[in-house]
Amino acid sequence: MAMTDGQLRELCERFFDAYEEHKIDEVMDTLADDFEVWLAPFDVIKQREEWLKSSVEGWTRQRRRIYTDRHIDTFDEGFLNRYTLCITEHNGRKSSLQVCVVALCRDGKIYRMDEYIDPSKSPAWQERQKQLKAQEAAAQNAAADETTTQIN
Amino acid sequence: MRRDWEMFELADRFFDAIEQGDYETVEQCYAPEAVVWHSHDCLYQPRESNLAMLKHGMETHQKMEYVNRRVHVFEGGFVQQHTLYVTRDTGFKGKMDVCFVAYTRNGMISRIYEYFDTGQRDKFLGPQANAS
Repeated sequence: MAMTDGQLRELCERFFDAYEEHKIDEVMDTLADDFEVWLAPFDVIKQREEWLKSSVEGWTRQRRRIYTDRHIDTFDEGFLNRYTLCITEHNGRKSSLQVCVVALCRDGKIYRMDEYIDPSKSPAWQERQKQLKAQEAAAQNAAADETTTQIN
Repeated sequence: MRRDWEMFELADRFFDAIEQGDYETVEQCYAPEAVVWHSHDCLYQPRESNLAMLKHGMETHQKMEYVNRRVHVFEGGFVQQHTLYVTRDTGFKGKMDVCFVAYTRNGMISRIYEYFDTGQRDKFLGPQANAS
């Protein structure tokens, strides 16, 4: 059954409020059984349980995440939420990211969410990517050294 | 009053025109007060500056394609999700997933909010990404 503008806005606010406050049961209550999320930066789709697991893990990586400055528009099949994600890391460093989510809904639940986020703007993300690249380079050097040793 | 077909038609006209290198139509899609906001710098780009950028891209790139367009119309505008493919002079085909949110007035686009991931610039710009 199609949802009204008011129902869609309420569902959107309920989801983001619950997610912000780590109320996992309330988050799950907003999601359909066949819920899936597509994450633009990685071009991957995560199913409900996998997404839930990674969300709970993600919550431990920062002290706080606030979903603020929400601009919500609704359309026949769902809603659009443009917001600012304000992150406070465990060391107190703060950063913010601009995010846009397009959600498809039915029968009072969200069944599909597409998330457009630019994590490369996050200092913590940049540091993690540098670490990964350094690890990758070290692994390649080690492999090259091993090959040279074998040839010699 | 929502007139969905007008929004769908505007979205199609705008992106089709870019693909076809039809600058005049692209320009006509923008209201006089049009501004374009990008998620990577959070700045509003003025109409003329954005149009100049689009024109340059249309003249420079071999091909621009907006693939897998998914449009939803809401009160006062529309959102289009797409994958932009740009074929560059070098033959490299760049790819970027974009969420394009447009607010309209009198059948023209007056405000745009464009979201994409700058972390994907290598995939979009190709070998020149490392040179710049």
